Amino acid sequence: MTLLEKIKSIYPELTNMDFSPFGTIVLQNDSDGKGDYIAKWEHPTLARPTDEELA
Amino acid sequence: MTQAIAVATAVGNGPAFSAYMGSNAAFTSGTTTKVTLDTEVFDTANCFSSSRFTPNVAGYYQINGKIRVTGTGCTASVNIYKNGAQNIIGTYVTPTGSVVFSTVSTVLYLNGSTDYVELFGYGDTTVGSPTFQFIAVGNTCEMSGCLLRAA
Repeated sequence: MTLLEKIKSIYPELTNMDFSPFGTIVLQNDSDGKGDYIAKWEHPTLARPTDEELA
Repeated sequence: MTQAIAVATAVGNGPAFSAYMGSNAAFTSGTTTKVTLDTEVFDTANCFSSSRFTPNVAGYYQINGKIRVTGTGCTASVNIYKNGAQNIIGTYVTPTGSVVFSTVSTVLYLNGSTDYVELFGYGDTTVGSPTFQFIAVGNTCEMSGCLLRAA
């Protein structure tokens, strides 16, 4: 399961537009072998998931 | 007059580069991913390395970027990152087929020592993963830039 899929399973109300370059959440991969991570979380109502929730 | 000539010379001989991605690279849908630009077309001042342009002359730089993304129902947007942070978002392209292009062009100040720029791309597919696609030189993901005006 990708990071995007994990987050959407926690918050099913999120849509792909929330993760687009114009959205409030940016998932990022620096192509350095370290994988995807949350680079920005500025959603007005939903809290950033904890590492435990995403594990 | 001497100063004007000196500045003009600095700009005329200032750093310029062009590089592109020479093979396909799949990435995670919904994730903004650094594009690996592994093939240089030119790099006049040896300022391009590891998909990153770090010019050695302070000034204002024209930076251009393009991504070619393929995938089912794919949307895409190219991004210029400065010093690891999103700086300029390019065109946001919605699907008209299985391939989309997004472009960006901007002018940035770079300090000539530590400032750097990188190319990132966002893609979102309805099925499977998007892919940064290489077809041929000029028909792939690429970034270029040059000094417009020394600081």
